[in-house]
Amino acid sequence: MSFPSQDKRADEKLRQIIGRVGSVRVRLNSLAIQHAIFYTLAIAIAGGAAVFAGAYVLTPLVFLVGSAALLVIAVIGIAGAIGAAWRMRASAARAAAIADDRAELKGRLSTIVALAHSENRGSLWAYLVEDTLGREDEFAAARIERRRVSRGIYPLAGALVLAALAYPISKIKHAPQIISGSGQDDLTVDLDDLHLRPADPGDESGMQVTADAATMRRLQDKLAREGAAGGDAAGNSLNQLMNRARDMAGNLQNKLTGQPAASRQRLNLRLADAGGDQDRNEIHRAPDQQKNRHSDVAGQFKQDQPKSKAELDLPQADDSRQPNSQPSPGGTGEAGVESNAGKDNPNQDDSATDRSIQQSGENSNNGGEAHGIGADPDSLFGAPAASKLGNEGFEIAIEARPVDHGAKGAGHAYVPPKVRTPLSLNQEPDEPVARAAVPAEDRTTIKRVFER
Amino acid sequence: MSDVQAETPTVADFARTFRRIQAEIHKMIIGHEQAVEELLSALFAGGHVLIEGVPGTGKTTLVKTLGLALNLSFNRIQFTVDLMPADITGTRVILSGEDGRREFTFQPGPAFCHILLGDEINRATPKTQSALLEAMAELQVTVSGTTYRLKPPYFVMATLNPIEMEGTYPLPEAQLDRFLFKVRLNYPDEGELTRIIASTTGPDDAGIEPIFHAAEAPERIEALKRLVREVMAAPAMEIYAARLVRATQPQNSRFVTDEARAVHDEMVNRYVMFGSSPRGAQALILGAKVRALLDGRANIAREDIEQVAVAALAHRIMLNYAALSDGIDAAHIVERVIKSVRAAKV
Repeated sequence: MSFPSQDKRADEKLRQIIGRVGSVRVRLNSLAIQHAIFYTLAIAIAGGAAVFAGAYVLTPLVFLVGSAALLVIAVIGIAGAIGAAWRMRASAARAAAIADDRAELKGRLSTIVALAHSENRGSLWAYLVEDTLGREDEFAAARIERRRVSRGIYPLAGALVLAALAYPISKIKHAPQIISGSGQDDLTVDLDDLHLRPADPGDESGMQVTADAATMRRLQDKLAREGAAGGDAAGNSLNQLMNRARDMAGNLQNKLTGQPAASRQRLNLRLADAGGDQDRNEIHRAPDQQKNRHSDVAGQFKQDQPKSKAELDLPQADDSRQPNSQPSPGGTGEAGVESNAGKDNPNQDDSATDRSIQQSGENSNNGGEAHGIGADPDSLFGAPAASKLGNEGFEIAIEARPVDHGAKGAGHAYVPPKVRTPLSLNQEPDEPVARAAVPAEDRTTIKRVFER
Repeated sequence: MSDVQAETPTVADFARTFRRIQAEIHKMIIGHEQAVEELLSALFAGGHVLIEGVPGTGKTTLVKTLGLALNLSFNRIQFTVDLMPADITGTRVILSGEDGRREFTFQPGPAFCHILLGDEINRATPKTQSALLEAMAELQVTVSGTTYRLKPPYFVMATLNPIEMEGTYPLPEAQLDRFLFKVRLNYPDEGELTRIIASTTGPDDAGIEPIFHAAEAPERIEALKRLVREVMAAPAMEIYAARLVRATQPQNSRFVTDEARAVHDEMVNRYVMFGSSPRGAQALILGAKVRALLDGRANIAREDIEQVAVAALAHRIMLNYAALSDGIDAAHIVERVIKSVRAAKV
């Protein structure tokens, strides 16, 4: 038989033990919550930093794929962290079991917690409570779990460091992408060695290619050939998807990097067999930056800027026909080629001889197959050219890369002899055919011809 | 002889008494510390013990010494093939009264004692072996329709000779299951053997001092047994014991249900024909309670259960021929099961 005062004291002792177990539980749960928060933040910050850096250093497609993969990994990682924290949470019974294990109490606390509210505790209950309370120092919260801060703080710190490094890394990586105007030697590229592909709106080369009509025609032909080589119906739809993906990624990159679309640069091409007309077909960084005049090389392009990976971006659709064309990421979506065909005619000034056709790859939905060649039946009929005859410029979005096959080891490609054939008296310089409005009744016929 | 504890024993009393009995037994028994501890654990847990050992390892001496130390009545039955059930339980015989009338009177058999040693129990026929079943499980014997109560404490120790198997009758599983523990007596090592020679071939006889007075011994022992039952087992410990028992049952057994939540070990599936019965779980908990008291605790821990697991479960596991051919014994299976359940953390 026990007296009420004894029961009261026993209850107080029991409360004291339960309170200690409760403080252990609070600490364990606090660590679990911290684990979830720290790891979630760490994953989010590291992922964000990686995406931010990737926006600078990756091409849009790689950026898109990488970002998607990163997103999946981050979601899985965050879910895992939250799941781990959920598993780390401690009920009173679990906290008691953990305290038993760590303090080597051999199940004393677990038994007390489990039987605290039981009616049938047995005659040894008081002994158990007394015995356990005598060891209360062994199961103090600070001894059971010394840490107040979760180990998740380390990944978080690492993520913050990564984030801090992402900005300078992006700047370092980004700088070489911008084509510098400071001159190195000219880069002479054989047209046959140029690899062309559809414009990448997010490409940061930021170049605009301008050239005379003949050069542009050759570029168009090459682009058409390469487009045809890789294109069929299935390829078209795939290309469309790829273009959309690129556009999306490019836009995202633009937003992340904060780069204005106008930052693109211009790359002028010239036909190397233009003889003494060095004014025309001059490759220059911008129309107003013609400075180096070089000897012409037939069938070759020259570039007056250093670039190991010379990429030429040509927009895919005529700006005049695609007024809603979106600026491409990195300011390169509208990069293109300007033809300086008008310079063949000395009577015309530079501005009058420029032909400019700009095609937007985004709006033409043309992928790379018929890129900029005007053969796409869907984009045959645009608005008539605004410029006067012989003054039509165009821009075609391409991406070009010089490949030094023929001139390996020689430094320059083969240079054919100059052949200048004067025009006869009855000849007149070729005038580019101006785009004119197509009568509505003829459109079906013309479209059918091109579709064939 | 001394007073060891008051009327209501405490945890400390239990541990002290237990250690004193142990010490007395080891005056006669050299080595076999674990076997002695398991034997006493079974006694205070209220169970019976099957002792397996080769001849000459001190099985009979151990039991005798225990009887002397506890100061309890002790009987020994040498089981032979011609032993009849009535030779164990007793029988009704015709006796002449003072008035000359003859009447059937029950003559109790050797089963009527506190400590019964069934020596080489596997030499008797199953019919005779099963005569012990009722006594062991119910603490009573029934002869000619009349039931006679046995006085507690009642503790049966049966020895098994694992060799000379010819002409023996292996114990049926049902009877094996009624033994709380199976204790194995191995050969003594060199040091133990040297001490055995010295202590048994000299002129001095090791005097065993009884721990209790003869009159109060049964009640004292029963009080200690009641104390064992008072030890608390948290639900988690009961679940752990249940998982251990279930893990001894092969997955493909037609008697196993709800196997999804059971922990299965590949070795169990390969070598075990039948796993432990629920009596195995009871044996685990009761044995663990004794261990807890010896450690000065009023609650059982996982370590207590694991310490008695081999003694409590090994003889309840029926191995198949693959195990016999591969030299796998039940103790090895139990150890594997403990590791599996501990690792599973279901």
